Amino acid sequence: MKSEHEKYRNRIDLLQGTLDMLILQSLQWGPQHGYGVSQALRARSGEVLQVETGSLYPALHRMERQKWIAAEWRQTEQNQRARFYKITAEGRRQLATDRSKWNTMVAAIASILEA
Amino acid sequence: MTRFSRRKRDLDEEIEAHRRMAVAERIARGESEPEARAAAERAMGNLPLVKDVTREQWGWIWLERLGQDFRYAVRQMRRSPGFAITAIGTLALGIGAAAAMFTVVDHALLRPLPYKDAARLVTLEEEGPGAKNVWNAVWVDIAQWRSASRSFEDIAFSSGMRGRTFLQGNSAALQVDGQEVSPNLFAMLGAKTALGRGFIAEQPSFGAVKNAGGIVLSNAAWHDAFGGDRNIIGRVARVNDEPWTVIGVMPPGFRFPQSFRGAPVGPLVWVPVHLGDKDTGRDYKSDHYNVIARLRRGVKIEAARAEMATIQKQVAAQYEDPEERVDHSLLDVERYGDSLIDADVKKALLALLAASGVLWLIASVNVTNLLLARSMARQREIAMRGALGASRGRVMQQMIVEGLVISGCAAVLGVGLALGAISLTKSVAPINLNVDFSTHLDLTILAALCGLTLLSAVLSSAWPALMAVRAPIEPALKQGGQQAGSGRRHNRLRSGLVAVEVAMSLTLLVACGLLLRTIYTLRHVPLGYRTDHIVVANLSIPSWRYVNKSVNATLYQPLLERAQHLHGVQAAGLISEVPLGKTFNIMLTLRMNGNNISAALKTATPDVQRIFGMKMLAGRFFSNDDTPISQGVAVVNPAFAAEYAPNKHDPSSLLGMTVWNLREGMPARIIGVLDNERQKTVAEPSQPEVEVCLCQITPASGIYQPSTIAMDLAVRTDRSPSQMIPELRDLLRQASPELANSRFSTMDQIVEDSFGSQRLAAHLLEVFGSAALLLCVAGLYGLLAYVVSQRTRELGVRIALGAQRGNLLWLVMRQAGVMLLVGVFIGLGLALASGRLVRGFLYGVKAHDGWTLAGAALLLFASGMLAAWLPARRAARVNPMEALRAE
Repeated sequence: MKSEHEKYRNRIDLLQGTLDMLILQSLQWGPQHGYGVSQALRARSGEVLQVETGSLYPALHRMERQKWIAAEWRQTEQNQRARFYKITAEGRRQLATDRSKWNTMVAAIASILEA
Repeated sequence: MTRFSRRKRDLDEEIEAHRRMAVAERIARGESEPEARAAAERAMGNLPLVKDVTREQWGWIWLERLGQDFRYAVRQMRRSPGFAITAIGTLALGIGAAAAMFTVVDHALLRPLPYKDAARLVTLEEEGPGAKNVWNAVWVDIAQWRSASRSFEDIAFSSGMRGRTFLQGNSAALQVDGQEVSPNLFAMLGAKTALGRGFIAEQPSFGAVKNAGGIVLSNAAWHDAFGGDRNIIGRVARVNDEPWTVIGVMPPGFRFPQSFRGAPVGPLVWVPVHLGDKDTGRDYKSDHYNVIARLRRGVKIEAARAEMATIQKQVAAQYEDPEERVDHSLLDVERYGDSLIDADVKKALLALLAASGVLWLIASVNVTNLLLARSMARQREIAMRGALGASRGRVMQQMIVEGLVISGCAAVLGVGLALGAISLTKSVAPINLNVDFSTHLDLTILAALCGLTLLSAVLSSAWPALMAVRAPIEPALKQGGQQAGSGRRHNRLRSGLVAVEVAMSLTLLVACGLLLRTIYTLRHVPLGYRTDHIVVANLSIPSWRYVNKSVNATLYQPLLERAQHLHGVQAAGLISEVPLGKTFNIMLTLRMNGNNISAALKTATPDVQRIFGMKMLAGRFFSNDDTPISQGVAVVNPAFAAEYAPNKHDPSSLLGMTVWNLREGMPARIIGVLDNERQKTVAEPSQPEVEVCLCQITPASGIYQPSTIAMDLAVRTDRSPSQMIPELRDLLRQASPELANSRFSTMDQIVEDSFGSQRLAAHLLEVFGSAALLLCVAGLYGLLAYVVSQRTRELGVRIALGAQRGNLLWLVMRQAGVMLLVGVFIGLGLALASGRLVRGFLYGVKAHDGWTLAGAALLLFASGMLAAWLPARRAARVNPMEALRAE
């Protein structure tokens, strides 16, 4: 049990930053609930990124605490009560920083690989 | 529902919504319901665990980190127990001393008195310019204050019953403190009875009779005399044979007057003042009262002082005697709480509190030094953690938690030390100081203790932590920190701290030295009488048994006779108050040669001279030839002679003069001048004093009956007091049962007790001073030992290159010498500056006494050098081969 717990934790650590950026980006398109976020990421990545529940929800709740996103209960179109997240101004700033860092890193890695 | 459980339910719902949506979508895509459900659950994984990990994001994580840090700190302490013990012991000493002193000061100075809104209670006393004489007030004056003043809600008054007061209860008579109180007093204090109606609040006046004949008992008096009988109300209680009806019993802890803040409560009784003929005048025949008043809400004491100053001018104008008019011209309005503590004791306690604070600072500095040393040793570990991504704040938090754990342990240990110290102080504190050293810890103390602990932790660990995290990571990792360049800066810092410790210790040592010299000087003041081998009993005389009887014939003569025949008794005598006894003081205004003179009056038996070995400046002492029917005789002291002798340089010029009428037609002539100087305190010469022969005092000797108010039995004996006292007590019990309660002491002890606040301060400063010295030496040793171990390689290289071992010894000693000299230099400055604080306690020595300063400095320097010698010798013995190999 203990080791499984660690596994989940490690997975968040591993994805941290990147996952945050992806979630924030998906919320740019409009308020969404957790399931919606995971479906959107899967669809937009061409079914490549499968965000685990065990990573998604800790990330959402952490970002909520950091005030990057805000949550409220709402009804879905299918009349299902769900917790909807929307990005805050602070979240947008964070997203911008994350993106520029990401671009720098991608460029750096690319230049190494192409050297 | 708590916030936490609501959020928990929210999360459950959120995850459940996720599951439902996933299932619904799969069904919409055409999967069967069981299939869809299984697939969705598989995809979502271990849901409880998902929730668990999510909940961790909610911010309780800092608590968990704190837990980690705590566990880590405990592990660290277990790994180096020597360090932990030193640090905890040092801090515990500091915290314990400060907590103990704070407890005492809190009890003595800070607690509000146990009355309703006690801050508004004030005392009113008449006095002359310069406050030389302070007077209780007569009713006529009080009445005038009551009608003229606007500052007070109410003015009440009280006076102690004359002579000794005995409450005759179910069994033996109990000596009590009896007070006559104005009928509005208890209501003014806001005091309620535990049983009975108590006094009916009534404004004092000549017609006030609502409470006549009623008596109120304190809880202790009720328990001790009547066994706590709940049916006591309405019963008759006899006080000195006079019957009173019990109308109330006060709750435990109630006391009026307060003898001293928080001092133990003895049995008390209160009866109403009956205003009568004795309350119509302003002369010595009138009753004089202690006056206590309650300020109106919002009225400042300064305003009351200003108002009363004006009123008192009119009051004083009505005194006929011009001298008395001056003597009553001012009115002292003081808070009741402030009036209870001796200014001397207050200063002593505050100075000692400051001293304990200094000791605590020294301890904190010492622990800071220890932690600095350790943070140096752990530099590599800290650098490694930094390299692995730990933030500076995180590392600092962890080190401060370590400091907190150490301080927490120290606080627990410190409380133990404080309790021990207080009970020790209790046995050391002189009886007449009467400070309450009760040892229960309450909220104030605990709060103060927590504050001290936190402050200690922050003081001692924040700095080292800051130093540690600010050190650059790279060199520490590269070189292992051992010989790193930042070590030099660290060492300079630590040397500075040791110097500060030395300076503060020196301040304490100087204060301690000054008080020890004071005590020494006091012990060697020529008293003018012997104090060895004298047992003294302060007699608890049942005065009421001897009203209109000759107490001499019925009590004293037989008592002396039997005491003299006890085994081992060389002489037994009676005197109103033995020198320095502080039990009894009556000032009389006498007529001599047509002048008013003022002197204390005492009475004694002839043997007193032999017991105390008193010498005469002129004339003779009483002898057995002085009898009730022979010529009246009196003896005076040198202060009397200096003040009133016709020829100031010749005491014998007083002989033959008449000072007092023993009774109508029996004048007392001065037959001798004693050669003793120290009657009230060792530090100061006596006030003028007249002694008369006990056998010549009879019931006819007028209003003043010194023989039944106070009497000390003094016995010169070869046997030890512990053997003598029980025998004397038996003898007293046989004479009258109440006398068995007499207080016994020895003359040596009485002298010792008279040093009062000086002795208390000296004893505590001995403890503080030696603790400071110890800490300081330990700090110095610790630093040098550390420096030597750090420089092993350098020392090895020096030897390998041909340095003499003596040079290395000198190298370390020089470093110690510099620290000590700097510390001593600063310390001397501090000691001179703080001299003001102790000046009031000193006798025969100045606050900037060169010998004491030099002695303390030398002691500190020598102990410091001794502590430095051990590491220095180790440095000199470094084996170059081993030292170089060790790297």
